[in-house]
Amino acid sequence: MRLIRRTLAVGAVAVLALTACGNSDTTSSSSSGNGLEKTTLKVGTIPVPDSAPLQVAIDRGFFKAEGLEVQPEVVAGGAVATQKLLGGSLDLSLGAYVGTFLAQDKGVGKFKYVADSYGAAPGAFVIMVKKDSPIKTVADLKGKTIAVNVLNSVSQLTAEVQMKVAGVTATPSQFVEKKFPDMPPALESGQVDAAAMTEPVITVESKAGGRIIVDEMTGPTENLPIAGWFTTDAIASKYPKAIAAFQRALGKAQALVAKDRKIVEETLPKYTKIDAATAAVISLGSYPTSLSETRLQRVADLMKEYGYLKNDLDVKSMILPPPAS
Amino acid sequence: MEHARVLRGAAGVAGFLAAAEIVGATGLIDDRFLPRMSTILRGAAELLVDQEFLADARASLAAWGLGLLLTVAVAVPAGLALGALPPVERAVRPLIEFLRPIPSVAIVPLAILLFSDNLHLRVAVVVYAASWPIVINTIYALRDVDPLAKETLRSFGFGPVSVLLRVALPSAAPFIATGIRVAAGTAIILVISAELLAGGAEGVGIYITEAASGNRMDLMLGAALWAGLFGVLSNTALVAVERRLFRWHDVRTGAAR
Repeated sequence: MRLIRRTLAVGAVAVLALTACGNSDTTSSSSSGNGLEKTTLKVGTIPVPDSAPLQVAIDRGFFKAEGLEVQPEVVAGGAVATQKLLGGSLDLSLGAYVGTFLAQDKGVGKFKYVADSYGAAPGAFVIMVKKDSPIKTVADLKGKTIAVNVLNSVSQLTAEVQMKVAGVTATPSQFVEKKFPDMPPALESGQVDAAAMTEPVITVESKAGGRIIVDEMTGPTENLPIAGWFTTDAIASKYPKAIAAFQRALGKAQALVAKDRKIVEETLPKYTKIDAATAAVISLGSYPTSLSETRLQRVADLMKEYGYLKNDLDVKSMILPPPAS
Repeated sequence: MEHARVLRGAAGVAGFLAAAEIVGATGLIDDRFLPRMSTILRGAAELLVDQEFLADARASLAAWGLGLLLTVAVAVPAGLALGALPPVERAVRPLIEFLRPIPSVAIVPLAILLFSDNLHLRVAVVVYAASWPIVINTIYALRDVDPLAKETLRSFGFGPVSVLLRVALPSAAPFIATGIRVAAGTAIILVISAELLAGGAEGVGIYITEAASGNRMDLMLGAALWAGLFGVLSNTALVAVERRLFRWHDVRTGAAR
């Protein structure tokens, strides 16, 4: 018995010691002159073109100029980012609107978007089939298996919209989850009939003769907002000045990127394994410079219409507008 | 003996690599999806001069080493306590048998909520998953301790803790060491799985996620190859340590290895 107690005590001490040394370096900050509550922000990113403005802001010292140190961290997807924000290991993260709105609707937490990052543009989100597929039109997708990178994501929502426009109804069971790199082999082997792709996989599949059936972002989904930078209500109200500084710095980068695609092409190889040659040819989305309630409301409305949301979502409460500059 | 063993092992590896290359060259597998073995090997070799990968590998190995140390620090005493106190062991056993088969990666989402630091997260899942082989091996090893040796010590007036430390622990040590060796392999799996699932700033799993973003199958598999090599190296090193420390055990059990 005594031995067990001693063991437990040793274990507890070890764990405490570890936690203690971890906490000291994450919250080491505060007094750096400009009154930020926190000078180090851990920010979740996904190695996709959507995150480019963050990398640009880091590279050009925009955060440093605000007295901020931004530590980017790769997250495997929006769901993990949400968990990490709630668990306290991230301060902000890139997050697709559809995923975050779903989480808010389900009561997972209360979230706030602080900046827009990525929007739809022609050619950046498409449904593809393999070279010799019998599928020719969107209507042919009826009852066919379609791969999406995450179930109930913007890819699936917009696929459902495009099918409805074509006069056929999508069923939830026809969508299966596949990571982007797994989509070309899944098409080839017949595991799936079609796949909702983004770059650089679109380029890869096109080179192999794959055909684009439809651009997911046309008609009702044209220019649809895709992803932005978000945090929790709790973090936003705890560190308002740090968040405002983040918004100012990111806004500068966003404005640069919105005007000049070359900057994105140069930046992609720094935080993804998309090389410069590929970066030069892929179809990119847009980089909106303002966080518009009306634009985001479109996403929520579509989600409601297609049964993704149970309740009416108050998009306004999920937006923290950047400070007036 | 020893040389023959190494040679046979090398022949096995070379045979596998050659077979994989031939399968790739004959076009049985589309090399867009599974690159040729030679491409993967070249990718793996290039990673050795890739500063980013080296930093990631260091981070993963650090999490692995720290996790394994903490696992040993927790699991060996726990196993000794349970092995030495059968009533406690009987009480805890159902719980162990319930927790042990839970796939360790399934606790990663829970760990994401509990640990705000990526290193702690990885260390925690390693301790959880890698403790079982050590705890179980230790419990069984203590059951096999020579009763005569224990009685002898007792009759000389040694207390239960002395008996445990002077007879039971040395006698159980080779089995505990085997448990640690198994745990080391489990720990590598868990570190990289946690990185893949939970993300983070650095780690081989993070590198694989980034390689996936660019559809670089060669780099993804090259990194996976290194993860496998880390496992082989740690196993080899631990076997060597076991042989040095427990020569007497091999002699006693007549194990020809």
